[in-house]
Amino acid sequence: MWDRRMLGNVGGSSMVTKTTSTPLLSIESVSKRFPGVQALHEVSLSLHAGEVHALVGQNGAGKSTLVKCISGVHPPDEGRIVFDGDEIATYSPRHAYDLGIAVVHQRPPLQLSMSVAENVLLGNFPTLARGAIVDRRRGIEQTRTLLARFRLDIDPSVEVARLAAAERQQVAIAKALYRDAKLVILDEPTAALDAEKSARLFEFIRDLTAEGVGILYVSHHLEEVFGLANRITVLRDGELVATRPTAELTQDEVVTLMAGRRLEAIEAVPEAIIEDRPDVLRLERVSTPLLHEVNLSLHEGEVLGITGVIGAGGHELARVLFGLVQPESGQVLLGGRPYAPHGPKQALEQGVFLVPEDPDKEGLVPVLSVATNITLVDLPAITRRGALSLRREREIARRYVHDLRIATPSIDTPVRSLSGGNRQKVLLAKGLAAEASLLVLEEPTQGVDVHAKAEIHQIVRELAASGKAVIVISTDIRDLLQFVDRLIALRGGRVVGEAPVGETSYAHTLDLTVGAAGARAS
Amino acid sequence: MSSPDARVSEAVAKVVSEPRRAGWRGRLRGVDVYSLWPVAVMILIIIVTSFRSSRYLTAFNFENILSQIAPLGIVTMGQAVLLISAGLDLSVGYNIAFSSIVTGLLLEHGHALWFAVAVGLLAATGVGFANGVLAAQNRAHPFIITLGMSIFLFGLDTQMTGGAPVNDMKGLYTAFGGNLPNGFPFFGLPSLTIPLVVVVVLAFVFLRWTPLGRRAYAIGGNEEAAYLSGIPVKRTKIYLYTIMGLLVGITGMCLAGQINEASFNLAQNFELESIACAVIGGTALFGGRGGAIRSIQGVALWGIVQNAIVFAGLSSNYQEMALGAIIVVAVMVTRAQR
Repeated sequence: MWDRRMLGNVGGSSMVTKTTSTPLLSIESVSKRFPGVQALHEVSLSLHAGEVHALVGQNGAGKSTLVKCISGVHPPDEGRIVFDGDEIATYSPRHAYDLGIAVVHQRPPLQLSMSVAENVLLGNFPTLARGAIVDRRRGIEQTRTLLARFRLDIDPSVEVARLAAAERQQVAIAKALYRDAKLVILDEPTAALDAEKSARLFEFIRDLTAEGVGILYVSHHLEEVFGLANRITVLRDGELVATRPTAELTQDEVVTLMAGRRLEAIEAVPEAIIEDRPDVLRLERVSTPLLHEVNLSLHEGEVLGITGVIGAGGHELARVLFGLVQPESGQVLLGGRPYAPHGPKQALEQGVFLVPEDPDKEGLVPVLSVATNITLVDLPAITRRGALSLRREREIARRYVHDLRIATPSIDTPVRSLSGGNRQKVLLAKGLAAEASLLVLEEPTQGVDVHAKAEIHQIVRELAASGKAVIVISTDIRDLLQFVDRLIALRGGRVVGEAPVGETSYAHTLDLTVGAAGARAS
Repeated sequence: MSSPDARVSEAVAKVVSEPRRAGWRGRLRGVDVYSLWPVAVMILIIIVTSFRSSRYLTAFNFENILSQIAPLGIVTMGQAVLLISAGLDLSVGYNIAFSSIVTGLLLEHGHALWFAVAVGLLAATGVGFANGVLAAQNRAHPFIITLGMSIFLFGLDTQMTGGAPVNDMKGLYTAFGGNLPNGFPFFGLPSLTIPLVVVVVLAFVFLRWTPLGRRAYAIGGNEEAAYLSGIPVKRTKIYLYTIMGLLVGITGMCLAGQINEASFNLAQNFELESIACAVIGGTALFGGRGGAIRSIQGVALWGIVQNAIVFAGLSSNYQEMALGAIIVVAVMVTRAQR
């Protein structure tokens, strides 16, 4: 098992020639349905040893479902997957791993307190005395040889916790390869990496392909895909749109394929629309380590959508507005006055409320009741002479449960037993209870069903109509286009486009966030 | 027109859609019936044991139980508040001893009772404050911080007394060593009934009706969400541990007064027993759920079980075995009702 890559050039070029005729991985009309969603519909795809095959598509296109089918997490409903000449009979992550299919996730699950060698060799660490004693020195030597083969300058005895994100990524790949992986699936591998680290990763990927390893590369970044992939497969709404050699495609064409419409001519970034209504919020050249000179303004009663891929700066912007990150330079004006909150408490006091990305982890206290969760954000409002007025609390909770149409058996029900959409509404109710003038919503429709989505859209519109300013930060462009007034596209921490919704389109915005137009603008 | 079947299903639909009248369950709204299981177990134990001994079902015996559990009951209220906020205090045993020793030594040196008690309470409260500051500032778990504090206080307690107890608590013994006057309204109950009842009522009010109590639930249920809801997490934790310190001081005064002695082993195992009682009563070990009434039920059950084992003629080793078994059962019951 430690054979060809450790002991020399036994595999290499001969393997590539051997397998170009029969693909390493062959997916044959695979379909997968989840309740209410056709996640994959008759998708067929092949991947050869030594090939980098890129998988692109918008959120919800079916990329991750496909990856999960290949890696054994979800068995396909229909169709079959042939790997290395044999049909995969049992679908389990363990089985896929044993076959030689390795998935390297965005944030690889490594044991942080263990050394690089221990991580790479986990479960297979060389031993002395018939397995009784760990042979630390030999393990480190083996890992050093492995890392050296891929020109990785990482000390195998160092703790993983002390490595940078890029190095962890490489350790995760090395770990996958130690088990003799024939297919490596990389899921957004550069999301946490800067340009230089990404370049090193690409070099590494090319070395792997020279060894005959097949790579399935899942990414939002078309530039990377064009620099790396032999072929590109585009998925849209669970269907395969096209598989073509990279040389026969342009970035604009791929964006068009992803969007499903012809791409209109790309206009210059439109000027901000001048409105009579006063500015609620204005950002002037705000920079943090992840944002670069961001300018934006927001009017009373306006819903502003901010989009971009993960890591483009939307989340960071939300953190700045809620006082969790302080800008390094530039200034924020709230209602015309400088606004520099330190911490959520000060942000709330000045009328800013955040619906965080992960409502269950960051937004709600799952074991407490709907009423308690709603009023938690402003306890003074229900405090009378130092004591909580439970009557006042119930009044407030009943009002918002009614206004926001929260479906709950009672206001005493713990929020953990509500559906995703209703939990999201409880968070919005908190924002109302906080009497915020500016609501910042992160991914408000993520993981909720179609019906709840429509309701949340409507509630946001109603909030705006009542004079509140709303910022919706989401990676889902199509969803944003349905209920925001204006859309701002971010890429690499910069604003790359801004337009009222009527003057922009899904395809254009998508191109700004992932395609060539955005690359020019940034 | 409609077939019998259709009419039946219409009727069923009507019944189902009719809003249910609030029955006895409805009237108990807000009270989780399952949370009363310790009461049921207690009644069962009382019935069974009363058949074994004629001396069991007497006022004297129950007064005895009450005076035994009162100090533990007071400290359990503090422990419950901390558990609700996903904290805990393992230093309570030696902190109780610490406050009693401080007061005892001051009394021995002829200081006034009020002064000795005030300094004793202040000493324990100071320890609680220190626990709070350390637990709030550090990322270390309060388990480790308060364990360290406990070991430190053990050393300090033995150093201060040289291992020998202080044997005369003077006015404290007069106050807490005996019983209340007979007849209305005290009926000759043990003196410690008063501090116990006051603390339980205050804990109940604190958890239900004060913003600070509400903040404890929120932090215990989800610290990140509490912080993002504008709750001053660190400050709240410091307050809660300080309150615990004060309750520990009160327990120290009660216990030392009751047995007229201050020593380092005055309240051995109180840390674990108070956590156990709170959990038996249904307070979650990892925060967010629980209450004063639930937790005091745990204390009462523990007292009744201990006493019943004596009446059953079993050795006191069975008390520990019983407590261990009850804890496991309690956790399973609490889990099952989720």
